[in-house]
Amino acid sequence: MNENRSGLRLAGTQTLELTQRSLQNEFRQWVVILPGLIFPLMMAAVYSSQFGRALGLPGFPKVDSFLDFILPGSIVQAVSFGATSAGTALALDIEDGFFDRLMVSPVSRVPILLGRLGGAAVIAAGKAVILILIFLACGARIKSGLSGAVIVTLTASLLVLAIGGLAQSMAIKTRSQEAVGATFPLIFVTIFMSSAFFPTALMDGWFRALAENNPITWTVDPVRRLVIEGWSATDALQALGVPLLLSVLTISLAIRSLQRMLRSV
Amino acid sequence: MNIVNLEIRHSSQVASAICMRGMRRIKSRPVLIIPTIVMPVVLVVSFTGAFSSLTRIEGYGTSNIYNWMAPYGALQGAVFAGLGSVGSSADDLEQGFFDRLLLTPGSRFPLLVGTVGYSACRALIPTTAVFLFSLAFGMTVPGGLPAVISLYIATSLLAVVFCLIGLIILYKLKTQRSLMLMQVIAFGALFISVGQVPQSFMDGWLKVAARYNPITNVLELSRQGFLGDVAWSTTWPGLLALVIMILVSGALAWRGLKRLAP
Repeated sequence: MNENRSGLRLAGTQTLELTQRSLQNEFRQWVVILPGLIFPLMMAAVYSSQFGRALGLPGFPKVDSFLDFILPGSIVQAVSFGATSAGTALALDIEDGFFDRLMVSPVSRVPILLGRLGGAAVIAAGKAVILILIFLACGARIKSGLSGAVIVTLTASLLVLAIGGLAQSMAIKTRSQEAVGATFPLIFVTIFMSSAFFPTALMDGWFRALAENNPITWTVDPVRRLVIEGWSATDALQALGVPLLLSVLTISLAIRSLQRMLRSV
Repeated sequence: MNIVNLEIRHSSQVASAICMRGMRRIKSRPVLIIPTIVMPVVLVVSFTGAFSSLTRIEGYGTSNIYNWMAPYGALQGAVFAGLGSVGSSADDLEQGFFDRLLLTPGSRFPLLVGTVGYSACRALIPTTAVFLFSLAFGMTVPGGLPAVISLYIATSLLAVVFCLIGLIILYKLKTQRSLMLMQVIAFGALFISVGQVPQSFMDGWLKVAARYNPITNVLELSRQGFLGDVAWSTTWPGLLALVIMILVSGALAWRGLKRLAP
């Protein structure tokens, strides 16, 4: 029993150490983080200036401005920029041999994956806070107040864990940075095929069906209700629950891929 | 007189060899062209699917979202085709092949013309892909053949513009990594235009920016035949914008090349 507890504590310490390493890597190349902030801000500025008339369409949620509506979508887009980095960084570790060195060191296997994801989640939370502050300065309002803003930030971190877990699974399978990086356009398209930038009620046919069954929509919709309608415990639970479930699923997939890879060596 | 003729012939041979080399590269590595085709088609799918309800608003200009978004998607594809050819040049620069090209006797100008020609040819591929895809999904062409010709002229020349802009940056920074910066410029330029909605839908700074963005004229040139008939009053501002952009970016790229390889 004591052995289990000290094993868990050790794994926790190792995860924290590797998270710190991951964060140091990110901050050393902080310019890489910038497009993930500039691009969603540019899109939000353009969309809020060009879709004002769409607010009057029947089926569009009641909002004070398009800026309020697009806030959750912009945050999802911003964090998606860095979400695959946990995978590409792992693929780089595999390519340059650092991963092999970790394997021969007395580090548990799971913290190697969790450390990278932890770094990405911290960066995502930082991006979400920066975006929320900029949106508020530009006149957006979060009707659920500070507690809503905290839920939005936590959701951003959890979403990165979900996408990052998938990227890590790919990194282990392909062992190629380029292959993992190539998945970014897919994530970009998945965000577009959701309610991130426009309500699904105003979409038609197969695209609407696809958007309604997209996990990004299941995450964005409750977050949006917290922003434009106000506090609701059900929405907060859904906003956190969907990405949490997804991250458990994708991280388990990554751990399984790692175990398979180690067995085959 | 004969020497001048010979030089012109030699220059055109070098330019066409560089252009053909690029096209052969695509043929031998088809994977290179997949993003150029897939990305604009996916953008058309995303924009038409997400924003289809905009056609219900009075003054949008068409009731068929494909007629609005397809030319925009084709121009996006052309821009990425232009930047793709800059990517090939960046590869040549990093791998040392560019140094061998510099050993070619005669002017450096054909090196620039060849790369630009390659980008214009490459732009035909995504334009055709977007056009056929949109046609299959219900796009109509009320302007007939002149509409299709306007679209192809606009996409090919815009690919040339962005190839030249990319080369200005590449000759300065001399690295593949500069492609990221080029993509941000390209995406931004297209975004701040009448790509998704008409000017009458815009407010504030965007309305002013879109009005003075030359890409707006190019978009109107390429889109006119899909919204109605092709008219000279919409054609010439687009052509003029393209010619001015090519002259300015061409002069700067030429200066960059001369500084890089005097």
